[in-house]
Amino acid sequence: MNDDDFRMEVRQFIEKNYPTELRFMPRRPRWREIKPWVMQLIEKGWSAPHWPTEYGGMGLSPGKLLIFMDEQERWGVARAQDQGVVQLGPIVIRYGTEEQKRTLLPKMRTYETIWCQGYSEPNAGSDLASLATVALIEGDDFVINGRKIWTSSAMDATHFYLLVRTDKTAKKQQGISFLLVDMKTPGITVRGIKNISGSTEFCEVTLDNVRTPRRNMVGELNQGWTVAKGLLGFERINSGSPRRAAFAFNRLEALARERGLFKDAGFVERYTQLHLDVADLKAVYLHFADLMTRGETLGADLSILKILSLETYQRITEFMLEASGDLGLTVHAGGDEEGVDALTPFLVARSGTIAAGTTEIQRNITAKHVLNLPV
Amino acid sequence: MTNSPSPEGADNGTSSLGEMRERLALLRDSVKRFAACEVHVKRGRALRGTRPGYDPDVWREMAELGWLGTMIPERLGGSGLGCAEMAVIGEGLGYALLPEPVTAAVVLAGGALVYGENEALKSELLPALAEGRLVPALAWRENVHRAELLAVDTRAEKTARGVRISGGKCLVVGGASADGFVVSAQGPDGLALYWIPAAAAAPGLSFRELPDGRPVADLALDGVEVADNQRIAGPGVAAAALTRAFDEALIVTSAELLGVCTRALEITLDYLRTRVQFGKPIGSFQALQHRAVDLYIQQRICRHALDDVLSCLQDPELQLDVRSALASRIKARCADASLRITRDAIQMHGAMGYSDECDIGLYLKRAITLSMWLGGADVHRRRYAKLALRELAD
Repeated sequence: MNDDDFRMEVRQFIEKNYPTELRFMPRRPRWREIKPWVMQLIEKGWSAPHWPTEYGGMGLSPGKLLIFMDEQERWGVARAQDQGVVQLGPIVIRYGTEEQKRTLLPKMRTYETIWCQGYSEPNAGSDLASLATVALIEGDDFVINGRKIWTSSAMDATHFYLLVRTDKTAKKQQGISFLLVDMKTPGITVRGIKNISGSTEFCEVTLDNVRTPRRNMVGELNQGWTVAKGLLGFERINSGSPRRAAFAFNRLEALARERGLFKDAGFVERYTQLHLDVADLKAVYLHFADLMTRGETLGADLSILKILSLETYQRITEFMLEASGDLGLTVHAGGDEEGVDALTPFLVARSGTIAAGTTEIQRNITAKHVLNLPV
Repeated sequence: MTNSPSPEGADNGTSSLGEMRERLALLRDSVKRFAACEVHVKRGRALRGTRPGYDPDVWREMAELGWLGTMIPERLGGSGLGCAEMAVIGEGLGYALLPEPVTAAVVLAGGALVYGENEALKSELLPALAEGRLVPALAWRENVHRAELLAVDTRAEKTARGVRISGGKCLVVGGASADGFVVSAQGPDGLALYWIPAAAAAPGLSFRELPDGRPVADLALDGVEVADNQRIAGPGVAAAALTRAFDEALIVTSAELLGVCTRALEITLDYLRTRVQFGKPIGSFQALQHRAVDLYIQQRICRHALDDVLSCLQDPELQLDVRSALASRIKARCADASLRITRDAIQMHGAMGYSDECDIGLYLKRAITLSMWLGGADVHRRRYAKLALRELAD
């Protein structure tokens, strides 16, 4: 099927079936909210777009994957709790045993199992390799002790994949393993963390002598860092998508109309600058999307897209908050008041430059691997 | 009206981006070889403060390479190509700080001739331009404080055989050695463009120096007689011809600025890698690394925004206003980015950056000159807003 026809098919399905009230959610949806939509995707065979068809995925080419993502973003489709399908699935496909593929993948794809990711710890954020959650071998099990933090949507998850330390004597990355755990296992405590934008989507997960069978290790012992490292091209480019900035800019325009701000020359000047920032951000995104569509590997310079995209998004929300003036005082985070909410997008945008690799880390990576500056 | 292919239009955009890049690869290689730096930067440095401020031999070489005829129709001795090709050349000009006034003569003045309506004059002047035998300059600007492309005070009064032109033009780039001037004036029936050969213009010429050391001319016109057959474009055509030449000059100048950014960044990164203080190359310090990354991001934005603009220009049904908006968009971006990069580059070079001996200062001054020429970032953002943001008109 050619790209244009595929785009139309995806668009029509989304417009027909996606719940209107869930469009452009300012926060991640709870499972109960998004489940009906996900069930429709599963029924259509569209819940694992990037998996090979032999595992029930759509087997989409990079170009079509981009289109699939793009159409969802265009309509404001919320991301379900899809870390299982997006992250764990490809990991199991690449590093898992045949038995693991057989037992894990089907339920992952149909969301019978819902996964959350345990990487960060209170003392291991940017320096993830220093993680200290320990897993000791006892007979046929691993026994896990430690704490994970910033785990997205753990309260809705049935299963958990995590990085643990299995060799304290080895150099940091060399002593890490990749384990799978059932959330119903005794010893697991989940505590939601409320964030400044008013929602509770991140959790702290405490593991107190939690047992998981050894067959729940993916990849070899002490090879977990390698297993977890490979992030998919389209996930990396997705975090740099200009949609967040473009959507925020639309809200800025709505605010401007509401407050009659286009009469103010000073406002118009900064508004124009931000408009051009979004247009040029799209041009940078287009460069990488074009590479991906032509089947080329995305290099380390993709980091610049993430930095630019999230900082542009922040700048727009900062200006929007400023431009909302006294109106901003009437809308509190997470509230339902009328008028354009300038506060929630501003607060939500704060996390963009922190999550999934801070922009400081992205700059370190760019300096070292793209600009070849000495360490 | 689209100002850029948004991601939803990416399907149309992506294949043309890739195709464009492949088509231009050969030209890019040839420009790269010509612009191999050291020679030209030294040359330009020595020519600062002189007139004509460039090397006629190099001008002839550029003619032989076909550069000067890039945007001239084939039937008039050129290659009949467009902005995308000219932008590749422009980038080379900026990268190597070539002093030759290619954009001013070929794109701005040459463009006014090409888009004008005087076929006889075109046949006389354009082949000569393509062959490097004639260097034209466009005199449009009248006021140092205000830049009005289409509203001019210079008057062309009707005479028996043509017009008599009186007024003052300033900041004519390439005017110091021009063989003739394209002059905009308010004619009997509206805005018109006229050709004034150097001999007739000479009495009114005076010169100044641009920040980058190249000469620029002011032209006082005191009843200069111009025959009817020297009118390049009359009312109805003049405004569109002038605007298109202006917009294309904005775009090619933006490409020059991209070249300036690219080389300034390269020089700075080299310095960071080699300058040792406190026992380490200073490029290992995180503050400088992060600053360098931010400059790199600016350069990349210019690169991809320019590609995007050039890709949009390939639309055969492109409207005038859309071209103007695209031109202003990219000029604003490259002006801002190049000033930031070259400013920071001076800082990162420490005291050496402040010395005239160090090349980086030359890049700063070229960035200043090109950023300001034809209007700086703020002028063009305002122009863009007027042309492209419908919500402001509501």
